[in-house]
Amino acid sequence: MKLKLTSIIPLTVALSTASAAYADKWSDMFPHIKNTGDIPGECSYESMSKKDYSGQKLTINTHAVPVMGEPTALHAEQFSKLTGAEVDVIHTPAGDLYSKAMVPFQAGQAPYDIVFGFSNFIRDWMQYLEPVPAKYVEMRQMKDVTQSHIDVASWDGQMIQYPIDGDRHYLKYRKDVIDNPEYQAKYKAETGKELRVPQTWKEYAEIASFFNGWDWDNDGELEYGSAEVMKKDDLMYAAFYSRSVAYSKNPRTPGGFFFDLETMEPLINGPGFVEALTDWVEATKYVPPGGINFGLGDEINSFGGGQTLFSFSWDDAFVAAMEDGSPIKNKVGAAPLPGSDSVWNRVSGEWEQTYNQAPYIVWGWAAAVAKKSKNHEMAFDYLCFFANDANHQADIAIGRFGVNPFKKSDFVPEIYVERQGWDEQIAKEYSETLIEMEEKSTNRVFPLRVPGVFQFNSALATGAAKALAGQLSPQEALDEVADQWRKITKRIGADTVREAYAVGVALEDNLK
Amino acid sequence: MRKLYLTLKYLFIGLWSMFVVAPFLWALSTSFKDFNSVTGGATYIPWVDFEPSLEGWRVLLRSPAQGGVNIVEPYFNSIVVTCSASFISIFLGTLAAYALSRFTFKAGFIKNSDITFFFISQRIMPPIVLSIPFFIMLGKLGLLDSMVGLVMVYVVLLMPIAVWIMVDFFNKVPREIDETALIDGCNPYQAFYKVVLPNSVPGLIVAGMFCMIFGWTDFFFAFILTFTEVQLLPVAIVALNSSITPWWSLSASALVSVAPLIVVAFIVERYLSKGNLSGALK
Amino acid sequence: MNFKHKYLFLFPGLLVLIGILIFPVGFTVRLSMSSWDSFFPGLDYIGLENYFRLFQDDSRFWEAFGRLSFLSLTTVTLQYVLGFALALMVWKDIAFKRFFRVLFLIPMMTTPVIMTVIWKTFFHESLGPVNDFLNIFGWNPLWLSSEILSKVTVIIVEVWQWTPFMFLLLLAGLLSLPKEPYLAASIDGAGPYRTFIYVTFPLMAPISIGAIIIRLIEASKIMDTVYVLTSGGPGTATETSSFYIFIKGLREFQFGYSAALSFTYLIIMIISLTIIAKVLVRLMIRE
Repeated sequence: MKLKLTSIIPLTVALSTASAAYADKWSDMFPHIKNTGDIPGECSYESMSKKDYSGQKLTINTHAVPVMGEPTALHAEQFSKLTGAEVDVIHTPAGDLYSKAMVPFQAGQAPYDIVFGFSNFIRDWMQYLEPVPAKYVEMRQMKDVTQSHIDVASWDGQMIQYPIDGDRHYLKYRKDVIDNPEYQAKYKAETGKELRVPQTWKEYAEIASFFNGWDWDNDGELEYGSAEVMKKDDLMYAAFYSRSVAYSKNPRTPGGFFFDLETMEPLINGPGFVEALTDWVEATKYVPPGGINFGLGDEINSFGGGQTLFSFSWDDAFVAAMEDGSPIKNKVGAAPLPGSDSVWNRVSGEWEQTYNQAPYIVWGWAAAVAKKSKNHEMAFDYLCFFANDANHQADIAIGRFGVNPFKKSDFVPEIYVERQGWDEQIAKEYSETLIEMEEKSTNRVFPLRVPGVFQFNSALATGAAKALAGQLSPQEALDEVADQWRKITKRIGADTVREAYAVGVALEDNLK
Repeated sequence: MRKLYLTLKYLFIGLWSMFVVAPFLWALSTSFKDFNSVTGGATYIPWVDFEPSLEGWRVLLRSPAQGGVNIVEPYFNSIVVTCSASFISIFLGTLAAYALSRFTFKAGFIKNSDITFFFISQRIMPPIVLSIPFFIMLGKLGLLDSMVGLVMVYVVLLMPIAVWIMVDFFNKVPREIDETALIDGCNPYQAFYKVVLPNSVPGLIVAGMFCMIFGWTDFFFAFILTFTEVQLLPVAIVALNSSITPWWSLSASALVSVAPLIVVAFIVERYLSKGNLSGALK
Repeated sequence: MNFKHKYLFLFPGLLVLIGILIFPVGFTVRLSMSSWDSFFPGLDYIGLENYFRLFQDDSRFWEAFGRLSFLSLTTVTLQYVLGFALALMVWKDIAFKRFFRVLFLIPMMTTPVIMTVIWKTFFHESLGPVNDFLNIFGWNPLWLSSEILSKVTVIIVEVWQWTPFMFLLLLAGLLSLPKEPYLAASIDGAGPYRTFIYVTFPLMAPISIGAIIIRLIEASKIMDTVYVLTSGGPGTATETSSFYIFIKGLREFQFGYSAALSFTYLIIMIISLTIIAKVLVRLMIRE
């Protein structure tokens, strides 16, 4: 892997310097790509300008402005200028993306040529989607995408969703506290332990509790330990899974994480998950007031606004913190998710006392073309254009766009240092953390992508929320969830679910 | 004793007024904030507590490619759809209400009150479940994403209200009036149009207002049944709801979307007061 | 009066309603007997299986119903009492009554989905003005994240939004009351209290009942408030029937089951409302 990095850096640097000196006509017309100019490729500005889609219309359903919504609209405008096509963009709140696309699909219609959504919709909506044609998969631009993201966009080897964004969960922390010698001394004196980036969830809890409820950055406001997505909405279950992976994803017991692949018996109420949920209930003590009702937006506001020491879900909070004008710019760091000192072995029925860590390759934004669309070629050209090198490089430099790195050439610290004003150390830490998860890890969990995924996740969210609210104990809550999962599996058909789950497990167990 | 009563009265009204106004003031203040002013803790007065910014307001006029949501067209669409649906609902609903109030219907064991109840029971169904069938229906008629389709659906939603309210109001207008008119040589339509209707103006105004309100503020059906051609205001505003809730633009848009209905409120109040007079004149 | 004209009055509206509704309602019933979900769209026939599941296995639905009854009865009662009080107060004899009348109408004009976002920020435990103010006294109530308080917050928002509805209907009713009974009452020497009990209240009974019933119907559908404020949380503390139906329908995409839930809900509501209406008539008109 090191070899690949060292060969990419010169390439990217060469590209950027070459094109920076290359003040081309495209960057004049489209200021968005002024930093790099047009980068040659099959979907570059130059190539697109040669296509003529005048008189044709493209309809896109995407997320609200600005996250994903703004780049979609911006690239739509650019695409329209280059090719003469008329592009209509509709914005929809995140929670409704699924239904807005599925209701027409199920009624046999396709009012949108392109639909945006989350990559874990894949099993449910792939029957209505047009797979990505080979010609796009073979492009250099696509080969640059990291393997994890190609996996996430594909089903059983076929690429169904077009990669336009990358997402992951990772730990974010306040450097001005963790790296602060004064606080390190204070922590050591009072607890006898090192103040460092937490390596396990237990450590995370200890440090977060220590820094909970007092003003440690001297801004006149109280700060708290951690901001987490605890509101029982569409995303909270992902936060829970991130917390469970270390306890339950045992590389020595392959064959399923959410279910036992053979029997389709839910594993969700196993001791590993219960331990994670117990941690989470404990966490309600070190989140800000109202933290138990935090959606992703609140988490971003909280950590990004400087209210908490830690956060661990998607990129957005980190990006918000590093915006120009943020009071905590260059005071935050990135690290892999905490692990655990013990991991549950479900075969032996015991806790193994070894350190375990695993990334949760969580899903992110995805875009796909409707099968019933009459404009397949134009739609794929748009998506390809969206993700072309010039646009992509420009997009990841604009925090609010929500476009995060997913190409190997993205993990180059210089991009963030030069274009976004990041501290070099931080940019390096960020790139390394991400590459570690994307390319190097072998013990990982893929999101649940089976038919009825929303039912499973919804059942989990309800159970976890009850535990957080103190209505049930963690074990009781998860037992209830397992019970629900059994019922759902029975309704959908165990074989159907197994068939789909096997695809994800194969990736996790590195069989493919 | 009277003084005490009056003081209490004003106190109550005062408190309630503050309660009514509080969120609007907060929205007004928030509409001038930006990300940092919101996340640092509660702030109130521009320039004193925080640096104001016009971002929340500008977003409403900008196109999405520049990070905004243009609400001008949805605004206009909402006005047209709401007014059309309300008008049709009031028209059909008032006629039906008059019949239910004045005449007797019998079909087996179904009586007047059952028919009236049938009308109002349409409001009980939670919208979600009606969404797919309406979607399919409009799809087959080719009316998806069109004003006509939306008006059709809204008429179904609003007519029950019109009927229910007007039946109540018609019931309060004594039958003697109708009978007097008929004796004077009017046919039933004239009796209705010239005599009974003018006496029910408060009811009409109220029914009209409710239709306007429920039509203007509907989010759900507009959301499911439209795509690109016709966007209504609530849908356009909710489309602002990104991962980071933009409190500032939502506040600004909340204020903006209330504005037309405030005008309606003024009109209604005027007619209400007048209606009192005409009732006495009979 | 029995004219053939009566059909001409009634039928345009009735037929339009039935015409447009017949397909959706029929479809919903048919849907409730299928297992349409995201993976298996289409109308297969599974008979009453959804209903069995609903009655035997779904305690969550009934819990939601319980919460719904609590929330809707509380909010409607509060709205009625407050609305009536306000209507009486701005009916006559007070300065600026026209201004107040307009002012009191305004909350109802807001789009619930949008306004509730404002409320969410208003009651935000860390960043909102309510707690900012209460912090002075050392209080920090968890408006949106405590099991009991979250219900209170929902009630507050609903009362704010819909009291104007009652207020308007009752005010319109008051304004079209005949004068004679009042003249008679004042001749009899009745004070304001007795006039209210024996004249105003009984005269307003029909309108009151109508208003309460409509309001109960609307309140039961309460969705936007819960969705934005708490997503039914914390846990399931504010999950109401229509929210639950929404989740099953548009989030989990179990449309068949959701249709069965809706239809059951419809039947229960019709029965309850009929009973409530009869009770109200007894209470209010006999007096």
